[in-house]
Amino acid sequence: MATADLSQCSDECREALKRLGAFLDGELGEVTRSKLREHLSDCAPCTERADFEEHLRELVRRGCSDQAPEHLKARIRLQLDALSATPSG
Amino acid sequence: MSEPNAPSGPVSDGRPVRRELDEAERRTRFETEVLPYLDRLYSAALRYTRDGTDAEDLVQETVAKAYRSFHQYREGTNLKAWLYRVLHTTYISMYRKAQRRPQESPQEEIDDFSLFDELSRTTGSSPEREVLERFSAQEVRDALAQLPDSFREAVYLADVEGFSYKEIAEIMDTPVGTVMSRLHRGRKSLHQALHAYATSRGLIDASVEG
Repeated sequence: MATADLSQCSDECREALKRLGAFLDGELGEVTRSKLREHLSDCAPCTERADFEEHLRELVRRGCSDQAPEHLKARIRLQLDALSATPSG
Repeated sequence: MSEPNAPSGPVSDGRPVRRELDEAERRTRFETEVLPYLDRLYSAALRYTRDGTDAEDLVQETVAKAYRSFHQYREGTNLKAWLYRVLHTTYISMYRKAQRRPQESPQEEIDDFSLFDELSRTTGSSPEREVLERFSAQEVRDALAQLPDSFREAVYLADVEGFSYKEIAEIMDTPVGTVMSRLHRGRKSLHQALHAYATSRGLIDASVEG
């Protein structure tokens, strides 16, 4: 599977792809991040892959934007009325 | 953190102010600060439980718990992460405990599966990204629903809510290393599930499969 494609890559690409997930998650330190960004600006295949991964995250995000039904909101307000009426702590 | 009342972030500026609030103030602040998250919490609950009715019950119970312990939430800290922590603990107590679902099913080892590589091999001229466009939102949700619970939750918190690894670790009460591994494996599973849809819908040529 992945090996066929990766065999055409340089060590630099390998390194970049290993860190791609953390990069897209915004979890890389400043130095590593700018190194990776630099690599991406020079390497079309890695950029394509990064775009793909980013787009997939975006699809997941878009697919999960449901709105709470009105009857649930009403239920919750009633529940808050009840909770406010009883001492809590 | 191990308790919902010990949220992440700097606590130096957090004062346990809620005790002093009278009931009316508490209610007002809760409605102003917490209720705007209702849609987000419901969307998360739908992903966690994979069922509309369960999701509603989970959100309702989460809001009740959050309200009761609102005095423990420290102002100036991360309210959203605190709410997701409450959602997580409520979810665990309402569903996982009841069903005794294996949390991290000792599923077969996932190879390093990459949807991108699979599509590169099999779609010919069609750019990989274009194939993504052909998935419906429902297919993406269904693919997500197939992940084991803890993988799905980690992927959701990262991809949809944009929480950091550290925040996810605190929300799910687990080490950061575990979060990273769940994300890695969760995303691989997601790739595999989408690949299966792509194959069954003829978006990729199954005959090229090795």
